[in-house]
Amino acid sequence: MKALLEFADVTFSYGRTPLFQETSLVVLGGERVALVGANGTGKTTLLKLAAGLLKPAAGRVLLEGRDVRLTPRRDVAREIAYVPQQLIVPFDFTVQEIVEQGRTPYLRMFGSLRSYDRVAVGHAMEVTSITHLRRRIFNQLSGGEQQRVKIAVALAQEPRLLLLDEPTQHLDIGRQAEILELILELNEQGVTIISALHDLSAVRAAFPSIILLYLDRQIVQGATSAILRQETIERAFDIRVQSRFTKIAL
Amino acid sequence: MEVELEKRMPAETGMDRRSLPRFLLAIGGLFVLLLIAILIGTAVGAVRVKSGAILSMLFHRHGSQTTAEEAIILQLRLPRVIASALVGAALSVAGVLFQGLFRNPLADPYVIGSQGGAALGAAMAILVLPHFSILGFSATASLAFLGSVVTMLVVYSLARVGGRTPVVTLLLVGFALSTILSYSTTFFVYLNPQSDLANRLLTGWMHGSISSSEWPQIVVATVLIGAGTILALPLARTLNALALGEEYAEQLGVRVETARLGIILVGSLLTAGAVSLGGLIGFVGLIVPHFCRLLQGPDHLRLVPIAALSGAIFLILADTLARTIIAPSELPVGILTAFIGGPSFLYLLRRNKREEYLA
Repeated sequence: MKALLEFADVTFSYGRTPLFQETSLVVLGGERVALVGANGTGKTTLLKLAAGLLKPAAGRVLLEGRDVRLTPRRDVAREIAYVPQQLIVPFDFTVQEIVEQGRTPYLRMFGSLRSYDRVAVGHAMEVTSITHLRRRIFNQLSGGEQQRVKIAVALAQEPRLLLLDEPTQHLDIGRQAEILELILELNEQGVTIISALHDLSAVRAAFPSIILLYLDRQIVQGATSAILRQETIERAFDIRVQSRFTKIAL
Repeated sequence: MEVELEKRMPAETGMDRRSLPRFLLAIGGLFVLLLIAILIGTAVGAVRVKSGAILSMLFHRHGSQTTAEEAIILQLRLPRVIASALVGAALSVAGVLFQGLFRNPLADPYVIGSQGGAALGAAMAILVLPHFSILGFSATASLAFLGSVVTMLVVYSLARVGGRTPVVTLLLVGFALSTILSYSTTFFVYLNPQSDLANRLLTGWMHGSISSSEWPQIVVATVLIGAGTILALPLARTLNALALGEEYAEQLGVRVETARLGIILVGSLLTAGAVSLGGLIGFVGLIVPHFCRLLQGPDHLRLVPIAALSGAIFLILADTLARTIIAPSELPVGILTAFIGGPSFLYLLRRNKREEYLA
């Protein structure tokens, strides 16, 4: 397998203290990678850097060897889809109107959706089981439904790399299982997936690879079974006191 | 059970109301309404003219009408009705553009200072460069455009906090700038109280009045506003993407910086056209787009033409009312739109607060 996404000595900071300092990572095509770390360790930032939405202070983010910041936005959007934690929609767009936005990188300025675009939109809604919701107003949907709509937009982009930011957050366990199942299905169809997640049991069950972000800015990458151990978890999440509740996480 | 079913119904049918046949029907219906509004606007006034007479005058010029009637229609009423239509369409489409840019249904070109900037530009032009023109466009239109662009760039950079535009900052920045701009305009008048500008101000330009429209002005405004409306269409898809957030739009392949500048330029072109014809007419760009979203949903590709037609109809009727309601005197139409628009603005603000849009 070839490297699909590569961080080459990436440095990035919001203020003075760097969040990433000459970080190097490689994600191979077809991988399913969990992005794990305590709050504030830069999971979202890493995903945005990967999508080319943030500019590294130094170093490069490469998609199959091409710098994502130097590639036209439209071309990047056909290869990489980023699903944010929150999507705030100020107007009453319907589900279908929102999923159709996923075709933006394929349309010309005046161009309306062609038959192929409609097929892609229909397929994206079908895979995410939201076809029956297509006429509903996005803002009136439940959290789980909105999450599936967000993923549908990304699928309508027909990406090779799907970046998910805590896709199971705020969902009940039934809806969490649906999302994880969907991630597995998409991955089986060849989509490479990097997903930030807090639920470690879900990580163990559904993600063979992991990128673990420590609080001291160190980053380790590898097989989940090898990396996700009691010591590493205690260190990553700063669990110093043996509380009865920490057992839950481990 | 039944209650819940009823509650879900409007949501379920959201898309049916937005089908393509419905859209075409709405466009057709609005065209008919526009023609009716034009007829009403030309017929009603101090001298009442039968609408049949207007039609025959327009379509086979030499009918049985007296020349006095013809003069009233062709030199007074018709230019004014067309000017109202242009101003209404321009402000409504500008409202659609700015609301999309700021992701906020309250971003009316008057409220956020775009019209104030254009008015100051126009005022400076009238005073300082009355006989100057760029590519055939008078200094008035050119400086009005520049005034709006500069104001919008300032509003955009001041009102944004961490990639978002909170309602409160947008409104406060808009308020502060509008106040500064409006007093600057008044200041220019005090510098030269005998000027043409002072005269126009006396006729209510600062309160929004279309009373002094003449054919040459209308031709210039038609070009500006026609170009602006046509240029708004290719921006529509970008506006849809921007509605989901700037970063998200970038994720979808939109070049956000370019798009933002395009929206500000086109919105300012429309505002400049409107202000150079009708002065400061507030809230049209707020009420009309809101009504259009209720009618056809928020898809900007449909919103632009629907808002243009609805805005034209709305302002023709508002101006007709303004010049007849206290006949034989006339009200500046801006007073009327403020009476209708102000409360609508407060209603939207309240709903906005409740739904915590982007707050």
